[in-house]
This record gives sequence, C-alpha cells and structure tokens, in this order.
Amino acid sequence: MRRGERFQACLIRAAFFFLIPGLIPAAGAADYVGSNVCRTCHSDIYSTFYRNPHFKSVASGKEKPENTGCEGCHGPGSEHVAAGGGRDTIPMAFSAAPPGKILDTCLRCHAQTISRANIRRSVHTGNDVVCTNCHSVHHSQTPKFLLQKKQVDLCYTCHATVRAQFSMPFKHRVNEGFMQCTDCHNPHGTYPPTWRTADRPRMVDQAQANEEPCLKCHIDKRGPFVFEHPAVRFEGCETCHNPHGSVNARLLKRPVVFTMCLECHSGLGTFGPLGGIPRTDTLHNLADPRYQNCTTCHVRIHGSNSNIYFFR
Amino acid sequence: MHLRPSTAGACLLIACIAYAQPPVAPANESTEPNRGDNTAGYNILQSFELGYRWDTVGGDDGMYRSTVNYTNGVRLLSGSLAVQSRDGHGHWFDQILLNTQGLGNDPYQSANLRVEKNRLYRYDLLWRSDEYYNPGLTISYGEHFMDTARHLQDHDLTLFPQSNLRFFLGYSRDSQSGPALSTVQLFDGSGDEFPVFANIRRQQNEYRLGAEVNFFGIRLNVLHGWEDFKEDTVNFLNSAEPGNNPNDLTTLTSLRRNEPYHGTSPYWRAALFREGQKYWAMNGRFTYVAGQRGFVQDENSFGTDRIGASTLRQVVTYGNADRPAVTGNLTFSIFPASNVTFTNTTSYYNIRMVGDSFYEQFTNGSPITPIYSFNFFGIQTIANVSDVQVRFKPWFSVHGGYNYADRRIGANESAKTGAPPFAPGRIEQTNRLNAGAAGFRLKPANPLTISVDAQIGRASRPIYPVADKDYQVLSGRIEYRRGPFRLTGLARSDYNTNSNSLTTYAAHSRQYAVDGSWTPKDWFSIDAGWGKIHLNTLGGIAYFIAPSQSVLGTESYYVSNIHSGTLAARFTIARRADISLGYSHIQDLGDGRATALAGPPGVTSPLTPPGFVAAQTFPLRFLSPQGRVSIRIAQRVRWNAGYQYYGYREDFSILQNYRAHTGYSSLSWSF
Repeated sequence: MRRGERFQACLIRAAFFFLIPGLIPAAGAADYVGSNVCRTCHSDIYSTFYRNPHFKSVASGKEKPENTGCEGCHGPGSEHVAAGGGRDTIPMAFSAAPPGKILDTCLRCHAQTISRANIRRSVHTGNDVVCTNCHSVHHSQTPKFLLQKKQVDLCYTCHATVRAQFSMPFKHRVNEGFMQCTDCHNPHGTYPPTWRTADRPRMVDQAQANEEPCLKCHIDKRGPFVFEHPAVRFEGCETCHNPHGSVNARLLKRPVVFTMCLECHSGLGTFGPLGGIPRTDTLHNLADPRYQNCTTCHVRIHGSNSNIYFFR
Repeated sequence: MHLRPSTAGACLLIACIAYAQPPVAPANESTEPNRGDNTAGYNILQSFELGYRWDTVGGDDGMYRSTVNYTNGVRLLSGSLAVQSRDGHGHWFDQILLNTQGLGNDPYQSANLRVEKNRLYRYDLLWRSDEYYNPGLTISYGEHFMDTARHLQDHDLTLFPQSNLRFFLGYSRDSQSGPALSTVQLFDGSGDEFPVFANIRRQQNEYRLGAEVNFFGIRLNVLHGWEDFKEDTVNFLNSAEPGNNPNDLTTLTSLRRNEPYHGTSPYWRAALFREGQKYWAMNGRFTYVAGQRGFVQDENSFGTDRIGASTLRQVVTYGNADRPAVTGNLTFSIFPASNVTFTNTTSYYNIRMVGDSFYEQFTNGSPITPIYSFNFFGIQTIANVSDVQVRFKPWFSVHGGYNYADRRIGANESAKTGAPPFAPGRIEQTNRLNAGAAGFRLKPANPLTISVDAQIGRASRPIYPVADKDYQVLSGRIEYRRGPFRLTGLARSDYNTNSNSLTTYAAHSRQYAVDGSWTPKDWFSIDAGWGKIHLNTLGGIAYFIAPSQSVLGTESYYVSNIHSGTLAARFTIARRADISLGYSHIQDLGDGRATALAGPPGVTSPLTPPGFVAAQTFPLRFLSPQGRVSIRIAQRVRWNAGYQYYGYREDFSILQNYRAHTGYSSLSWSF
C-alpha cells in the first residue's frame, strides 16, 4: 500500500472509530450493522464484492440480516465495530474457526444442493478438509466456484500420488485442462459405490444409476449388450484399467493384454455355466504370438450384441 | 554424508529449473489486476491469450500423438469474459462468465459459460472437444487404431435457483466420429485375423427435466431424463488381405459390416434430504433406469477359407438388450453430542441384463441352422455402512466403521438351434463382504497434522481372482504447514490375497509420496514432489501350448516400480518478468532385469513361452522439462513464450520411442 493510500485508510478508520459507534446499538448482545458499515474499513473487499456470488444476498434486499452480505457469513458485526476491528471480535472469523464450525456456517445456505447431500460423512470432512480448504470467498482464482486455485492444482496439493499418475504417458487429459477431477469425483462426498460392494472406491461420483462415472463419456461402453463382459459389471472398469494414468497403452494395468486376461480366464472359481471363469480352449496355443493378442479376435471385449465370445 | 557446495548448488539449480504441471501453455501469469470497464450498470472484464504453437517430433509420431498431440498453428490459447451487474439488478442478466481454452484446433478445446439472473435463472454450458488419436501400440498387433474427434456439451438451466421451488432443464450431447482400424476373425475358429477399416459414428443425446421443492425443511429433488444412444459405424475392407498368419490359407478379399445400434435409457432419480438439524440429518437417493437397445448386424465377407476354398459368407444378427436398474441409498446421521457423529447408510442395487439375439449365417448360399441366444445376468446388492467419528479433543479424533455387503449374482446363458423357449439353466452365487475401518487424526502442534487409516476386509466367494477378498489397507499421512512452507508425506499399502480352488492370486501395492512447496516471497515459489508406486502381483494361470498341451499351476508374476518426480520454480523479476521452470519425470524400473527375456533377477521363471516372460515387466521413461517466460510489455499486455520437451523411451523396445520439442509464443491482453 502506498503512503497516500495508507493515510486515507487511517483517516477512514479514525472517522469510523469515533463516529460510527454512536450510530449502532450499545455493546452487549452483538447486533447486525449491515454491509455498508463493513465497507467503511474493508473497502478493498467491498469494492469488487458485486463480482462475488455472495453479493446476491445484498442485491436481493429481501434477505434477513443474518443472511445478508458480510454478516451473513461472519455474524453480527456490532462488537467488531465497537472494538474498532480485530479478528477476535468477529463472531465468525473463518481463519480462526474450527473445521466443524466452518462447515456449519457454509451449509446454512449451501446444503440445498443434492451434490452436497453427503458432505458430513465424506472422507474430506472426516479429515477436517472443509469448505475453506478449497474455496476462498474473497481471494478466489476462479469466479465460478470461488476456488482458491485452479481445480487440478488444488487437488494435487494433497493428492500427490494422483499428480504422479496424471503425469504418466497415458492418462486422462486433466493436466491439459480438458477434464476436471470433478468430472469423476465429488469432493463433497458421494453415496457408496454399489457397482462393487460399497466399500471402495470412495468419493467417486455416479453416472445415471450407481454406474461408474467412466460411462458418462465412454458412451459406447455403457450398453446394455446381449452379451456383457461380467467383469465390467462386477468389479468395474478398474478391473483392467487404471483410470488416472498408466505407463501402459489404453490405461491398462498390464503392458500386454493376455497376461491380464489369463489372470481371470484360467478356469478359476465356481461361477458360470462351465463352473468357473472360462479357460482358454485347446486351440489357443499361447506359445504362438497370435494367441497372445486376445483382443485381435475378441474385439468387443466390453460387450457384444452378436457374439458370446465378443468376436464382433 | 556431506554435500559439496557444488553438489548442493546443483541440487538447488535442478530444483529451480522445475515446473510440475504440463503443458507449458496457456500461460498461468495474468496481466495486472484489472478493474474492467463500467457501462450501463455492468462491469466488463475481458482477457485473452493469442499465440502460435509449434512442435517437432522425432521417432514414433503415433505415440507422440497418442500421449501429447499438440501440433502447429495459431491458437486462442485462453480467453475469458466477465460481465457483472454492479447492483445485482441487471435487466436480462446479472452475470455472464465465459472461459475458453485451446480454441483454434488445439487437441483439447473447451468453453465454459454461465449466464445468471439473480433469483430468476442460471444457465451453465460446458463444451469440450477432444482429438482422440490412438495408435495400435502394443495391443492387437498394432491393428487397433483410432483417429476420432469427440465433442461433448452439457447445458443446464435452473429456474428460480434461490427459491424453495426450483426447476431444472438439461441437455447433453456426446458424439464421436472418425476413421478407425479394427480386426475381424474369419471364417471359423481356426481361421485367421484381418484388419478392417471402420468409420466410427456414435452419438448420445440426453434430456433432463426436474424440480426441487423445500417443505418443512426437507428437500425433495426429482429428475427425469431420457438418454438416447445411436451408433451406425460401418466396418469395411475393399482390398484383398492375406491375414496375420502367413501359414494359413484363409484370405479375405472384401468385407462390409453394417451394425446399427440404437436405444433409449429413460431414467428417474428422486432425492430426499434434510440438513441443518442439531441432532440428526438424513438423505436418500433412489433411481430407476430402463436401458434398452436394439440392434441389427449385417455382414458380408468374401475370401478363401483355411483349406483354400472360395467362401462367400453372409451373417445376419439381430436382437434386443434390456438393462433395468434400481438403486436406493438411505443415510441417517446422528449427532448425539457436538463431538460425535454417527452415520449409517443402507444401499440397494438391483440390475438385470436381459438380451436375446438371433444369428443366421449363409455360406456360399447355404444356410446353417439359425442360433437363438438368450442371456440373463443379474446382480442384487444390499450394503450397509456405519461410521462413527469422535473428536476427543480439538487436536485428536478417532473414527471407525463397519461395512457389510451381500451381493447375489445370477446368470443364465442359453444358445440353441430352434425357436425359444429356452431351457432353464440359471446359476447363482452369493458374495458377502465384511470390512472394518479405523483410524485417528492427531494435531500435536498447530502446523503439524498426522492421520492414520486402516481397513481390513474379508469377502466370501468373489467371482474374480483379481477382486478384493482378504485385503488390508494401511495408509498414513503427515503434513507440516507453517506460513509459506508446506511439506506432506504419505504412505499407503494395499494388500489383497485371493485364494480359490486352483491357485492363489496376490496383489501388493505400495505408494509413497513426499510433496512440498515454499513461497518465501511473492516473487519466488518452489514446489517439489517425489512419488513411488510399486505394484507386484502374483497370479496362478492355466493355458495351453502346442500341441494342445495343458499347462497348469504356473504363476504370472508382474512387477511395476514407478518413480515420479516433479519440480517447479517460479520467479518474478522486477515485477515485469515471470519465469517458470519445471521438470516432470516418470520412470518404471520394472523388476530390475537387464533384457526382456532374462526374467527377473533371482527368479527362475516357470513360464515357458518367451512371450510370457517378456510380458511381466515393461520398464520405460517419460520425462518433460519445460520453461516459460512472461514479460509485461504494457500495463495490460504480456508477451509469453514457452518451451517443453517430451521424451518417451522404452527399455526393451525402440519402436515406440519418441522425443518432441514443443513451444509457443503468445500475447496476453486484458481490458
């Protein structure tokens, strides 16, 4: 701040200190003073506050004082004004508030969206990662969701191994800005993923009916098909793919397909018309490289309408 | 060990020539803070970055396009527009926000628009376009290839967004089109494989209509949607092909396959939630989807069969597939004290896949007996998850949970010559999971946070060897955050053992990461991270080798040992020039063997075919240094230039290696 600006700020504060207290209720139970009073000192914030989505409450003119402007979030400001400022006199100073209180304060208004229905039981909340860990109301870099940083940078702050996965040669284009983490995940918590057995993965958002989010974009894999590859439905796409990134082509878990197929297709288990997961038949001479390229013949490996062996 | 000053200096230098986030463009640096122009009650802020991007690639261009894909040309690298009402009472709108990226033929383009009028409406648009180039690589003899464009758009309109009664309208479209190469296997099970071309055309349209009402503090959200999918990809081959197997007489002279596939999935979703109560909260979500598809496949192929006889074959297949799915989730949260949270979620999932198809084949004009197929496949899961969290002190909390899931799976596969009905042949299996979780969170000092989580699960009769059976997960995380300095370390071990009648499958993955950032001054920041992702799996496999010799009891042992490092530094010089330097390095060390066929050190592989041995590891290296400079040449104008190198190298093969130099130069302007 330049010297002139600093002098102006001192003048304003001095005027505020001596004049405003006479206009507001006496100290005791804190009372609401209105955003215009806050503006006197916090002009740097208020001058651009009309760009903030929270300005709606001020523009409305119909909201109750406890839901309007600065005091809608920070609480009644009379004591703060009477004290001439100071963080300790702000009823709700987010920088000093415990995580639970921050969550309660924000959810007073922001609980209304179904995407936040599970926020109280989310893994983030359980680890004290609450609203202000990701969002910044006054110093946001993204005007739409008021994020502290670009979304991917924000998530990488904690999820370092995920950053490594998205740096691999084969990856979904998150670093490139084509996708966002929230295309597949809901950071506010989700319902259990019953496409598996509800324990893992967590924080993964669902497509239409508890389907994996992969199917939001990979529309040709959704089906229904007459002949489904059951692994897709039992265990999900991650049975064969690493969704974030992989050192293997097509985000596969193995560099070569046939070893991955054989880990299941070795006649194992008891389920299925043949009493287990079908084993390759005697024609498949695995010493011959042509039989080591399973998907050359089993082209429709995600599901087929016309062939039970996914040939076409 | 003491680092010599020169070594320490080199380390610092390496750290400083680093930047973690590829790609290098668009620039992250913004122009000077801009207050915009005020007109007609609105404030208008605009900025854009226009530049030229270039690349030179040596080595496998297909692999470069698959993993990076930036090409030459003029681009609107980024753009933004913000029009905001200064009093919140605009005539038609109060806010317009528009952000774009990569317009003008970048492979990853997007536009994000929001138009909003307080209390009346909110409209969101997300448009994305992706050039999806997928070369054959190591899959399917390199004969599966795609060069498609995918366009996605999502429109969402909310009416009365701040009222107790809200309405939602939405439309989404996802289309994919472009040439592709695939394969077909002809003319019988012992025949040969041939490449075929395809012209991919897929499109999905989704329409949504919903409402949300708030009554007595309970919100009810209802959404009805219609998802429509159609695909009419044509596969063809117009010239003679000898096939992949040179010892086989099977040849293909021509092929044409039309396979229109069309269906609708109407769905309902109802959600009920209650929040803001002191002692309890609840929410529920219920969905029903009626997925239906109909298809016809008409294939004509001409060539010679495996004894060299001329063969003209026509295949006609048609049928339907249905997949109704019902799901329900109901969650209750109880807060008996301010420091105790108990949550219980019950989930129900029922999905049935029912399909029938009719297959008819004519070979040289002679029909074979038609085959009717019926396939049923159903999953019903009931799961209950309970979590409790107790915060004993502001600096110490513990949590625990229990998860029970009962999954019943049924299937009925029938194929017969002759008309239905099919013989009953339903098989069933039940798969149960019991899993417990516990953990604690400790904050012994203000800047330090430690959290530890553990989960252990036991599943009975999982269908797949690779599925979770006897598993345990242990993870820990420590974070130190003080002022401009942050250091995070995490470790996670995931162990799964899955025994079955034939053999044992075991997977063990370990992840370790250290990540830190330091911003001592507003003109200097540095980030660094290192991670290790180690996976080894051991799976029993069975297969045949010539002549029809069964091999049982052998094991497939796969090791992936990935190290990753990212470094980033940013400087601002004299408030005029920003310099960003970065480095990203990914390396899979594999299992440490020297050559592809040597086998891992100290292990005598029981796998006899060389292909098996070679497939057990795939060491490679992918690195990308980058640098960018951004110079303010006027108050609202910056000149940016950047360079990024990509190097991809596989240790046991050179066919897919490449190195690429990419760069750009641009002007950023805000007004």
